[in-house]
Amino acid sequence: MADTTTDKGPVARLGWGLRVLRGYARIGWVRKSQFRWEFVNQVIMDVMFYVSFVLTFKMLYGLGEGSESGALSLAGWSYGDMKVYLGMAFVADALMMTFLGQQWHFGGDLKNGALDPFRVRPGPTAFLYFFQRFSPEGLTNLIIASGWLVYALSGVVGSQVSLLHLAWTLPLSVVVLAWCQVFMMMAYNLVELWLTHSDLGHLTWNLFSSMGERPLDVYPSGIQRFLTFVVPVAGLAWYPAALVLGKLDPVVGIAFPLVLLAFAWIVARVFRAGLRRYDSAMG
Amino acid sequence: MTSLALKPVATRSLALLSKAVGYEFRKRIQFRTGFFVREVLNGVVQPLVMLFVYAALYRSASSTGELGDAALRNWTFDEILKYIGGLLIVMKLTFDNRGLELSTEIFEGRITKYLTMPVRYFVLLQARFVQFTLMQVVVASLVWCVGYGLVGDRWLVPVSWSAAGQAVTLILLGSYCAFLLYVTINALAFWLDVVWSLLVMASFVITFTGGAVMPVSQMPGWAATSFGYLFPYWAISAPIEILMGRLGTEAFLRGLVIVGLQLVALDLLRRFVWRRGLARYVGAGM
Repeated sequence: MADTTTDKGPVARLGWGLRVLRGYARIGWVRKSQFRWEFVNQVIMDVMFYVSFVLTFKMLYGLGEGSESGALSLAGWSYGDMKVYLGMAFVADALMMTFLGQQWHFGGDLKNGALDPFRVRPGPTAFLYFFQRFSPEGLTNLIIASGWLVYALSGVVGSQVSLLHLAWTLPLSVVVLAWCQVFMMMAYNLVELWLTHSDLGHLTWNLFSSMGERPLDVYPSGIQRFLTFVVPVAGLAWYPAALVLGKLDPVVGIAFPLVLLAFAWIVARVFRAGLRRYDSAMG
Repeated sequence: MTSLALKPVATRSLALLSKAVGYEFRKRIQFRTGFFVREVLNGVVQPLVMLFVYAALYRSASSTGELGDAALRNWTFDEILKYIGGLLIVMKLTFDNRGLELSTEIFEGRITKYLTMPVRYFVLLQARFVQFTLMQVVVASLVWCVGYGLVGDRWLVPVSWSAAGQAVTLILLGSYCAFLLYVTINALAFWLDVVWSLLVMASFVITFTGGAVMPVSQMPGWAATSFGYLFPYWAISAPIEILMGRLGTEAFLRGLVIVGLQLVALDLLRRFVWRRGLARYVGAGM
């Protein structure tokens, strides 16, 4: 079916997209009102995820106590910087959990031919499919993650960066990480369109998100460049945190958003090509 | 009379177990790429990332910038390298929840058909455990050979055959504890609408308290002491230290007692939850 939303202007398309998101959010709240125990469980689960990360890095930095060199740094990232880094990683994760939870079912839905209802609707298939599962518990965790980020930033404002610097870099950082999260998620799932039910989507997600949850500076320069310019997982936490903390090389600072735009364009094209070979019952 | 009545049941269970293990293998191998990803590559990423983080930390701690100079809480970088090599092996052998579809079968009421058969349903779940273990022993052996071929003596080589035997015993018993825990959480589907978040939480706890993110003995004292009473430590961190020669037979015996007691407790819990769950199961799913 023709994508009628593309016939309208950008403002009308944005309005349409927001109305769809509002509809999905309403469905999400109704669904969750039936699974209240699960709501509590998922909030606790994500809090455990955050606590385990904070504890791990606290323990790792704590190894410096009593050592000859005193305070440790992780390739130039102090513990204070790391708290901001983790804040960005938590916000990126919570955004994914809030809006993009359907990605976990993509391989299975492809195998079962469950994409048809989205392909015949008058709108972009990827948007309608991936954003369909709004998660109220994810939103709760987004609030908790944002709280941690604010706490972490309070430790560096004044001493390391000015409030003015934060005022323009923080909104930009959040836009970059949200944009990056959406297109990285699509990229992870691309391979499933060719190798159905292979779990490669999960593996690539696990691989790159695990690597992106640590400052890229810990990796050899080749891997750093790969994670910045080829699979730009740097946008999930490294770039936003470095931008806010004023640790960013100006060339990378300007080039990276352009890389993200190019990456998004390529992913969208490949996804569309993959959808063309989808024949409703790929399993 | 009792032994006569029990013998056919045990024989039947064993025959069912071997047949079900065969089916579990076929299920796993059906999607070949998926099989490679799930069974071979699974559990590789986290230790590799850990390696880079540790390298950066040790470089920061060293006065000369050389990795070999520093020791952090009695661990040198070479020992950390061996530990991470050990994690690649041990994490493969520790049972995870993949392929255990008990909660889905309860939700959908599909479990009914098994309950009417003259066999124990739990044997089918045990078949998944046996298949997982057999498969992962082969994969872990291959990973060990590749690692040894690549880095030679810097790779984790057991200090003795006895240490290897002790470590494998603890790993397999600990893996069975993880299996029992996952089965019990799955069985909570008799009461709860969704259990996946509880399974993820259990996995978090096992990996963190087991030492999959850093050696437990390198953690602060409060964490090392308290995690030392839990089976994940004896299934992951302690066996690697036994293989490295950092822990001896005394520690192995202590671990054997702790894991043995927790295995019995978890099995009793599983039986209790299963019986109570079946009592309220109406056979039609959720």
